[in-house]
Amino acid sequence: MTKHTTHKARVIFHIDMNCFYASVEVAHNEALKGRALAIAGNPEERKGIIVTSSYEARAKGVKTTMPLWEARKLCPELIVLRPNFDRYRQASKQLFKLLTNVTPLVEPVSIDEGYLDVTDVTADPVALAEALQKKVLHTLNLPCSIGIGPNKFLAKMASDMKKPLGITILRKRDLPVTLWPQPVNIMYGVGDKTAEKLQSIGVTTIGELAKADVYALKQVLGINGERLKNRANGIDSRMVDPDAVHDFKSIGSSQTLSHDTTDEKEIIALMTQLSENVSRRLKRKQAAGRTVQVMIRYSDRQTVTRSRKLQAYIESPNDIKHIACDLFFQHWNSEPVRLIGITMQDVSEKTAIAYQLDLFTYKKEEQKAKLQSVVTDLSKKFGPDTFKQVKESNQDNDIRTSFQKDFLDDFKHE
Amino acid sequence: MKFTIQRDPLIASIQDVAKAISPRTAIPILTGMKLDVRQHGVTLTGSDSDISIESFIPAEENGIVQVENIEEGSIVIQSKYFTEIVRKLPEQTVEIDVDDSLKVTIRSGKAVFNLNGQDASEYPQLPKVETDDSFSVDTTLLKHLIKQTVFAVSTMETRPILTGIKCQMANNVLNFTATDSYRLASREIPVDHTSLEFTCVVPGKSMNELHKILDDSEENVEISITKNQILFRTKHLSFLSRLLEGNYPETSRLIPDDSKTVIHAKTKQLIQTVDRASLLARTNDNSVVKLVADQDGFIEISGYSQDIGEVSEEVQVSGIDGESLNISFSSAYMLEALKAIDAEDIKIEFTGAMRPFIIRPENDQSVLQLIVPVRTF
Repeated sequence: MTKHTTHKARVIFHIDMNCFYASVEVAHNEALKGRALAIAGNPEERKGIIVTSSYEARAKGVKTTMPLWEARKLCPELIVLRPNFDRYRQASKQLFKLLTNVTPLVEPVSIDEGYLDVTDVTADPVALAEALQKKVLHTLNLPCSIGIGPNKFLAKMASDMKKPLGITILRKRDLPVTLWPQPVNIMYGVGDKTAEKLQSIGVTTIGELAKADVYALKQVLGINGERLKNRANGIDSRMVDPDAVHDFKSIGSSQTLSHDTTDEKEIIALMTQLSENVSRRLKRKQAAGRTVQVMIRYSDRQTVTRSRKLQAYIESPNDIKHIACDLFFQHWNSEPVRLIGITMQDVSEKTAIAYQLDLFTYKKEEQKAKLQSVVTDLSKKFGPDTFKQVKESNQDNDIRTSFQKDFLDDFKHE
Repeated sequence: MKFTIQRDPLIASIQDVAKAISPRTAIPILTGMKLDVRQHGVTLTGSDSDISIESFIPAEENGIVQVENIEEGSIVIQSKYFTEIVRKLPEQTVEIDVDDSLKVTIRSGKAVFNLNGQDASEYPQLPKVETDDSFSVDTTLLKHLIKQTVFAVSTMETRPILTGIKCQMANNVLNFTATDSYRLASREIPVDHTSLEFTCVVPGKSMNELHKILDDSEENVEISITKNQILFRTKHLSFLSRLLEGNYPETSRLIPDDSKTVIHAKTKQLIQTVDRASLLARTNDNSVVKLVADQDGFIEISGYSQDIGEVSEEVQVSGIDGESLNISFSSAYMLEALKAIDAEDIKIEFTGAMRPFIIRPENDQSVLQLIVPVRTF
């Protein structure tokens, strides 16, 4: 064994909240404790699907993405709540704040999971994990599972092994017994498509992947094939990066229609809404993008994505919608559409973008800049709190079932 | 039809005329080159219906016989093959023969080519430019006018009118202006002996081709303009181009006429400095560089590229007047403008970080290069 490598073996935690939305609801209302609980989108429409559910509901067969009516059939006593994102966001912020008390090396991955590099924390990792789990349970009233491993991948796989309130250690030497007999699709990073491709070269278990021929893997999966093989062997060199959440190359929004449609008006209405979502999120990140991608999923689940690279960076809902609609109608085959997605790619923060002014419009831009420089000057004079960026209202009036982790950007500054 | 011709003048003419011929054209016969053979000489014609070029090879010039054994007639020959064949013929003399069934025979030395020709009467009639209103410009000057402006035309079809050069004659001054809305290039020259006044927009592509085929040894170019055509004529060459329709936007009032900071510099030094700064500014599309001038007259140009590195260099200038300055612009536009300006010493006039700045030769108001800066957030 290469115990005497130059760098110290790392200790990584993956913390995963158990049934996060449902748990937060229970924490808010003790009466819900021990009941079959589900969070679902708009119950009147088809998109009223289960977003998450409590373990009591799961015991009855309720699953995420199941339509409500089906869940109700399986579990008639099911209590259904609409998502309350403000509440979840709040809880998530508190969670990550608590985690940064352990180590500054916290990388939020999503609203309810994150990695911690505790290599330099002088404490027994298991005792540390136990203390952390208890602290989260007592101060936030929320259950979590913690995976401990020498790298991100193993920590992540470990946290999945025992739920709720589990603490699992996954070492490299455990792999042949723990992971290798399992089907390859339980591996983080292997979706249906990848599993299918792996099957085509005779790889169905993680163990087979670990021993598979790199060349054959590259043939079907490209560079990712080699990466997955390494993971299956417990090798993952990714660092825990507290700033990873700031790196973003794309920002998107997609939505399933309440019924499959060919109605152009309906489609345009949805495109408008999606463009506004994307624009709002760009604004929140102070960013702009240069490639617009449109995804169309038809009623037979056929999915096409088409994108266009632009000359200039755009950020306004109108600009995004204009390009997106153009793309959509250029590539739509007039079959009924189930889902539409719009994604801005090539996204950069505005500070890194140079905007070529135009001879015919520079005077307008100049006015804008003047205002901005006044703001900057006054802020310099009276402090950064002189002006507040007017943020969109935090109220989620329209029920969305997806969740953006943008808010995690600034959990540290609060 | 039949004639014997010297190969060199034929090649020269073919090369000029071929510039107007496009392999992709709506009218198939336009992929051909038309030859009209008369006792006084041979005329070659090529056209893509936007541009038409005619080149005349006189039977005798300066006492040298170029075309002989002439039997008059006309024929259209596939341009692609004709051009290559003539270029590769072994001997100095070329004999071309067309029979009644439009079969073309090209002979030189022991090489014989047989080509199928097309009936010249099917070749479209080129528009006749019927006007007496013409004026004359020195060829070298005209080439300068084109070269100093044509690079600034827009390559985007979103605003078609900007793909052309605006040519304007007023008060015996001929002005060429081109802009793609990010930079603008303008040059004017005095024109004597004419009372003509006009404004027209000539496609940038036409001007580029014209620039290529105009021979510096020619003294003058005769220019005539009709409603939708412009004709440039030298002794043996006619170049006819369609004009762009539409109104060219008014640009004169967009050019700042006051200045807050003026920099005087050596063109060559500035080109080299900007070029060096742009080395590390290539990741963004416009290769944006930054120019900072402080009140003490210290000027620095810098380039920066995420993940790669940065560069900064103090600019050697001959002088600086006015306010301090911090402005970013595309190094590509800057380099093109500086190279086009054709003067050893220049002055750059700035009116602010968000406003276009102007580059002119020192002591010469006839050339103007304008660049719209880049706004950094």
